[in-house]
Amino acid sequence: MTLISYNGPRPKDVIAKYGRCLELIPTDKRFNEISVGLYVKNSVFTVWSFSTKPGVEKRIEEIRDLLVSLGGMSPISGTYNQAKFDCGLIHNRPVRFLLSQAVGKDPEYAASTAAMEIKDSKSDLLIKAEGFDRDNIRCYQISTTGEAKNPAMRLRMIVAGFSKYGEMDKIGDQEIAFECRSNHDGLLRILLPYSRNVSSVETMMQAESMRGQMTTNTLGFSQT
Amino acid sequence: MTYQETMSSKERVMNALAGKPVDRTPAVNPTNVATVELMDLVNAPFPYACQDGEMAARLAATGYTELGFDSVSPYFSIIQESSALGCEMQWEEKDNWPTVRMYNPIWKSAADVKIPSDILEHRDMKAITDSIRMLKDEFGNEVAIIGKTMGPWTLAYHVFGVESFLLGTVDNPEETKRALEKLKEISVLFGQAQIDAGADALTFPDHATGDLVSGAYYKDFLQEIHTEMVDVLDVPLILHICGKTVDRMPYIAKTGMASFHFDSKNDPQEAMDAVDGGITLVGNINNPETLYARGPEEVRQEVYKCLEAGVQMIGPECAIPLATKIENLMEIPLAIKDWTAERHG
Repeated sequence: MTLISYNGPRPKDVIAKYGRCLELIPTDKRFNEISVGLYVKNSVFTVWSFSTKPGVEKRIEEIRDLLVSLGGMSPISGTYNQAKFDCGLIHNRPVRFLLSQAVGKDPEYAASTAAMEIKDSKSDLLIKAEGFDRDNIRCYQISTTGEAKNPAMRLRMIVAGFSKYGEMDKIGDQEIAFECRSNHDGLLRILLPYSRNVSSVETMMQAESMRGQMTTNTLGFSQT
Repeated sequence: MTYQETMSSKERVMNALAGKPVDRTPAVNPTNVATVELMDLVNAPFPYACQDGEMAARLAATGYTELGFDSVSPYFSIIQESSALGCEMQWEEKDNWPTVRMYNPIWKSAADVKIPSDILEHRDMKAITDSIRMLKDEFGNEVAIIGKTMGPWTLAYHVFGVESFLLGTVDNPEETKRALEKLKEISVLFGQAQIDAGADALTFPDHATGDLVSGAYYKDFLQEIHTEMVDVLDVPLILHICGKTVDRMPYIAKTGMASFHFDSKNDPQEAMDAVDGGITLVGNINNPETLYARGPEEVRQEVYKCLEAGVQMIGPECAIPLATKIENLMEIPLAIKDWTAERHG
């Protein structure tokens, strides 16, 4: 009897070919609950699933295409599952949010071209991010309009959120830039909702990370 | 001179469990190393892999064939017996653990404990015994097959509810002991069934955890039962208790169990000192912070720390998070091999 017969590449082959797994989405709710990993090697991202269910290749391509349309990656020609940033960097942290969005969004979802702005979740402020080029650097000016108790403090917190989740550098008063100093408007747009409320995002991420963990807490074998 | 392996995985694990010499420290998984990616690889997703013998066997096999561990363990969760006893179950989805709804317990006292005569025929019991047979057919004596039978303390949480059971230990300890005596029969029945199916060793989880009860509780309520299990179940037993357990390790070391699977809340050297050669240790690579959230380099550091302390078998501290990255798990046996080559090559 042969217990296992493999239809696709095995883990060691995938890791050798596509590199380390940067982020793993445990279940794709849009396609048979498959797991979807984002692997990276030599700055090339590969969307990968070990599932061999019919249609998985098409689904992977849809996700890769959303990485491109939402996140501003460029597809690797001749592939259905690979893309990279033109700047050549990984952008480790924001890319995780990008994958989550790419797996969660409808494949037909069109990336917004409207102004990069969003309502603050903690006040009546409107948060605005405006990209502009200066000395070959893509800068983003973060500003707020509207009424709030202490708008300057809120703005500082929002900028700190971009630093945390986008790994962005503060390069001036309310001015930030990605590590590569390149244009990543797509990534910035992805980061907008996360950066406005760090504590909620941290709570959400903590809850997500606890799913699938077997601990005395999750088993109910501890004092709560 | 280069380091060479001279033992099969099974021989390595069984020797380590017996305290005999090994060619290198084995990578052992007394609980679970299945992940969502491995479920996809062999088309054996949770919760079905907890209910179907062939799926359980396929998924368990990946621990050896893909990750490079020296053992396979097809009982992934801690709920099979409780499901068979009629506890209300929450089976969850692929990316989460099935659990018992302990807020709705099935029994109130020791007098209620009744073991169905056909309990071993229940789907969730057969899933495990069937999978062990299939793994034995597939691998023979190549790799150690580790079954699992839940101890009476854990079963008591499930059937009586955690709060109710623990209050009972204070209000009426004799009643608690009667309940444990009756529940241990399930541990023996299921353990023996797995031995008959081909299990080479059994993990014996009994969650008298450091979070909930003291070391004195362990001595009063469980040490004797665990000692008895060693006589009754004729394979090496690996006791598993989560949490900070250094205070009870000296008692555990006297039970005669082959090994203690310990949590990362216990420093490896401190744990080795606590058992003082009375029992072997297996563990204790941290799950949530290292295997789940970090990378191979951090995993390697923890493996080396355990090896330097003399821990006899290396593995995750408990059942791993289901979204653990495969490369982190593969790093455990790789790091053991590298450490061995560096020290003894």
